[in-house]
Amino acid sequence: MAISDEFPILARKVNGKQLVYLDNAATTQKPSVVIDAMNDYYSIYNSNVHRAVHTLAGEATEAYEECRTLLKQRFNAQHAILTSGTTESINLVAHAWARANLGAGDVVLLTEMEHHSDIVPWQMLSKDIGVELRYVPLNDDFTLDMEAFHSSLDGVRLICVVHTSNVLGIRNPIEEIIQAAKKISAKVSLDAAQAVPHSIIDFGACGADFMAFSAHKMCGPTGIGALLINQESFAEMQPFLGGGDMIEKVSLSGSTYQENEHRFEAGTPRIAEAIGWAAALRWLEAINLETEHTRLVRIANSTANSLSQIPGMTIFNNPSGNDAALVSFLHETIHPEDMARFLDAAGFAVRTGHHCAQPLMERMGVKGTLRASFYLYNTQQEADALVEKISEIVEKFA
Amino acid sequence: MTWHEDLQNLIDEFAEVDDQMERLEMLYELAGEVEELPTSQWNDITRVKGCQSEAHIVVEIDSTVHLMGAADAKLVQGLMGILAIAVNNRSPEEVLNLTPDFAKEMALLNTLTPSRSNGFRNMFDRIQADVKEMMQ
Repeated sequence: MAISDEFPILARKVNGKQLVYLDNAATTQKPSVVIDAMNDYYSIYNSNVHRAVHTLAGEATEAYEECRTLLKQRFNAQHAILTSGTTESINLVAHAWARANLGAGDVVLLTEMEHHSDIVPWQMLSKDIGVELRYVPLNDDFTLDMEAFHSSLDGVRLICVVHTSNVLGIRNPIEEIIQAAKKISAKVSLDAAQAVPHSIIDFGACGADFMAFSAHKMCGPTGIGALLINQESFAEMQPFLGGGDMIEKVSLSGSTYQENEHRFEAGTPRIAEAIGWAAALRWLEAINLETEHTRLVRIANSTANSLSQIPGMTIFNNPSGNDAALVSFLHETIHPEDMARFLDAAGFAVRTGHHCAQPLMERMGVKGTLRASFYLYNTQQEADALVEKISEIVEKFA
Repeated sequence: MTWHEDLQNLIDEFAEVDDQMERLEMLYELAGEVEELPTSQWNDITRVKGCQSEAHIVVEIDSTVHLMGAADAKLVQGLMGILAIAVNNRSPEEVLNLTPDFAKEMALLNTLTPSRSNGFRNMFDRIQADVKEMMQ
């Protein structure tokens, strides 16, 4: 059985054509085991978690907490806070750690390659408490300018960097960045939204302090993600959202808080989503991610190569570092939105626009690109069909 | 809802075509139906917010409504062409009474929900808002 057979949605037709789903960097599709796990929760043991003593509550609590256990095991993490996704995870670093530990004049170092979710929270923090923001520029091949990075470290207390770019697929030199951060006792926060679906990162060993990612880009449900944290940084965090589930004791004169991750998970958590994510993580366990990733990168690079042969086409990848198995491209006369609509008419789902990385688009000198991103169920045949369709469109409309 | 004859004819033309690619080719050709707004007249006021492409429109009323527009995406300008057929030479009241459902009948768009990427809906709403403002 092919992997794609496990994904019910991949059997559907779009505009009368077989769906070819190539927007995986935005969100991946879900295998039946994930959909079934969420259905089972609502059909068989729907209940709130953590406090009630009845049978359903016990089953739901076990299933919810299994997600956290699987995350800690997979990524070798001491703490895993369940959030709504990468964006909330990064905001949690800003609110729960940075507000409690940084002040006016402290420097937060970002890069020009960051997703908006790793720029805007820091701009808001800067406005509120006066931290200084610095941005590491890019080289002409769109890799990070590491010389500039090393000369920007003065006064830096926190480095926020995207592990693998959602636009370029480039994996940044995380090890070098963490090593430099350690020397100046700065914290490192990784945006691993695009990295985690393609590799098992040893968070505990890599030396980063925070790592944010989402379930939905790795076959899990939307609406849930995680923030992994090491012990030292966890101990320095102050609660951000107050409410039920995160407290130890509440009186009218004040409250005390839970010691574990629940301290940062106020209110009824995302129970069905955590259960769905746990199912996705178990499903991924059976996949040899390294072999699959090599296959997907080969597909992405051959697609980039074939597209580059089409007259008027610019490719924005750096093939030597394509770690998110994606291709960003743009034709000189066909607007990306037009191309995406023509492709949709032929059944291909690709992404178009600025990919929530407007500063990067500015650096690339474009307003937007098209992006085809590959995941476990995609094949070389689908990539070839995409290139063929794009060639046809260019021939007709350029 | 019933549509005026020109618009109904256009809906019928689209309804006769099954293939979405062919429908988009027709839409591509319709880019020429809107009086083109020269790029020299593009500014923040003419810009339609929420389009992925750069799209600009100007609505004029001289007893009837007249739409000018242009976009860097040809299919978006094609949608302007459809809107021009829908509103040109119609009274302001007629334009205000229009609903965007005719685009659904053409089976051109997968959504009419206002959103940051729904250029058609944003242009339609903008035309009605401009007409309303000019009527006050």
